[in-house]
Amino acid sequence: MSESYDFLFKFLVIGNAGTGKSCLLHQFIEKRFKDESNHTIGVEFGSKIISVVNKMVKLQIWDTAGQERFRSVTRSYYRGAAGALLVYDITSRETYNALTTWLSDARMLASQNIVIILCGNKKDLDADREVTFLEASRFAQENELMFLETSALTGENVEEAFVQCARKILNKIESGELDPERMGSGIQYGDAALRQLRSPRRAQPQGTQECGC
Amino acid sequence: MATDNRINFWRRNAKVPGSVQPVYGAQHPPLDPRLRRTYPKDTKPKFNNIKTKKASSFYEFARSTNDAWDIDDEEDEEFLGTFNPAVSIPPGLHTTSSIQNQVATRFDFLSVSIRYTLQKQQSLPVRPIIPLVARISDQNASGAPPMTVREKSRLDKFRQLLASPNTDLEELRKHSWSGIPREVRPITWRLLSGYLPANKERRELVLKRKREEYFRFIEQYYHSRTDEHYKDTYRQIHIDIPRTNPLIPLFQQPAVQEIFERILFIWAIRHPASGYVQGINDLVTPFFVVFLSEFVTEDMENFDVAALPLETQRNIEADSFWCMSKLLDGIQDNYTFAQPGIQNKVKALEELVSRIDEDIHNHFKRYEVEYLQFAFRWMNNLLMRELPLRCTIRLWDTYQAEAEGFSHFHLYVCAAFLIKWRKEILSMVDFQGLLMLLQNLPTIHWGNEEVGLLLAEAYRLKYMFADAPSHYKR
Repeated sequence: MSESYDFLFKFLVIGNAGTGKSCLLHQFIEKRFKDESNHTIGVEFGSKIISVVNKMVKLQIWDTAGQERFRSVTRSYYRGAAGALLVYDITSRETYNALTTWLSDARMLASQNIVIILCGNKKDLDADREVTFLEASRFAQENELMFLETSALTGENVEEAFVQCARKILNKIESGELDPERMGSGIQYGDAALRQLRSPRRAQPQGTQECGC
Repeated sequence: MATDNRINFWRRNAKVPGSVQPVYGAQHPPLDPRLRRTYPKDTKPKFNNIKTKKASSFYEFARSTNDAWDIDDEEDEEFLGTFNPAVSIPPGLHTTSSIQNQVATRFDFLSVSIRYTLQKQQSLPVRPIIPLVARISDQNASGAPPMTVREKSRLDKFRQLLASPNTDLEELRKHSWSGIPREVRPITWRLLSGYLPANKERRELVLKRKREEYFRFIEQYYHSRTDEHYKDTYRQIHIDIPRTNPLIPLFQQPAVQEIFERILFIWAIRHPASGYVQGINDLVTPFFVVFLSEFVTEDMENFDVAALPLETQRNIEADSFWCMSKLLDGIQDNYTFAQPGIQNKVKALEELVSRIDEDIHNHFKRYEVEYLQFAFRWMNNLLMRELPLRCTIRLWDTYQAEAEGFSHFHLYVCAAFLIKWRKEILSMVDFQGLLMLLQNLPTIHWGNEEVGLLLAEAYRLKYMFADAPSHYKR
């Protein structure tokens, strides 16, 4: 394929039913709001290449169904995810209360090192807000999550959510905290990166410790 | 070793492995679609040769499946008659003359609202332009040939069966397998689903009793949707209903949404082992649309349901509830904890495909595509997300004519559906591309012809494997 990228990251979008996960994905990929969207069954799939700190990163995004009954199936997709958008609806306390469960699921099944950004979606419906920015922000801090309030309707912070999450993963790779070579890291090298790796100076890609470039 | 031998065996004998036996539950197939191509027009005399007879029944099948939502009221007749003087309507034929259907079929993609505009413009499209949104009323999107005399006699056969004091259900299934004429679909579905008794005299009474029973459930239980115990169920249904068939205005009407909510809520609390699972909401739609079709002569997707008498609305609701319940009885393990029915069927699909099309199977392996990633939805929503509604309705004619149509034959339909995209699949050489393709298969233009071919292929697969279930296990 003609598209060239340095890294491929596997991303998850998780959270309760009706919080706007598919709409966030659609807004991110198509740059418009999908107002005729149907609920997700099992998992749906999207992909986009973004540019983050001079690197081309291909995101392979797994948009999961939120309903409880699908959990046994959607969980099987968690394995090997590098990043996740954990979504709740700022107008629904219930979707916020469920975050702990989603979080422990993700950390347990995806990877300890999974980079998660908390997204308080439906920011445009501020009049109906049931969860304040402050308390969600505190929750994010306590659980070492990044945090943004987003609107799939207006597009506010949608791209940012994906980009911030990808940037954090890149930083972790560069600092050596994340090893892309490890099985189930959710990270793969793209064509561009492979060419770099094949250069003489980096003949031993296993020696990731020295990768402080 | 043994496995290898078996594979070779299957390859060499791909056509009819093992003994040729009647297949349980699939007695009335459309026959090999390839025969249809060579079969000449209506001019054939009666046949005694089995092969020709079979071909004829498939031909019939292909012909008969361009029925459905076309309009047959006099207004249209007149309108179309004046519209295209080349087609004259013989006097006295007011219901289902072949000519009228011929005209109506060509027009059934148009909604009544734009018909008159077209009349003014005096322009007549030869082939329908397939609307972006698949229309419910458009069962003939593929431009299949118009209704024939044979099709008329087919309809008469249905009418005759239905009018008999004791409808021969076996015979009704046999004829339904290849598609049920639109005019008799509602009653036929009620019979095939087991909702109505074969005994004609008892039908009225059973209908009355079942409808009353349903509304007693509503009185007794519907208020409990706000109870602590049920409020999650109700909330989930409530947020899903507006997202059911989001592109069709009919389903955005409050009256329709309330009907769906009641049906789903009552079903859910009466089936606590599964409760409401997303996807079940889709399964109400075909029943609702088919039962509504008894009362709608204009374009269905914009029909104002609230304009119907309340009694009629309630009858449609109750009948949809009971028929959906019958359907779900057969596939409940699709929706119970961990969805074992679906898991098993996806596994079976994988086994089956590995037998019948190794190229596709290996291609998936190579690019790390798992069957669950795309086929979960195929099973959970019975392909409703992959096909236009008109195709689902046609598909269900056959599912209801088959024993275990929804629970078992569907597997073969899924396999046939996958193989149908063989070329597209094999030309896609990365994981992303494959998944994007598989979750957006281009069926928007599909009509009865495509579904007919799909079913014929599914039948062939079932015929090959049903009498030897271990043959699709490695």
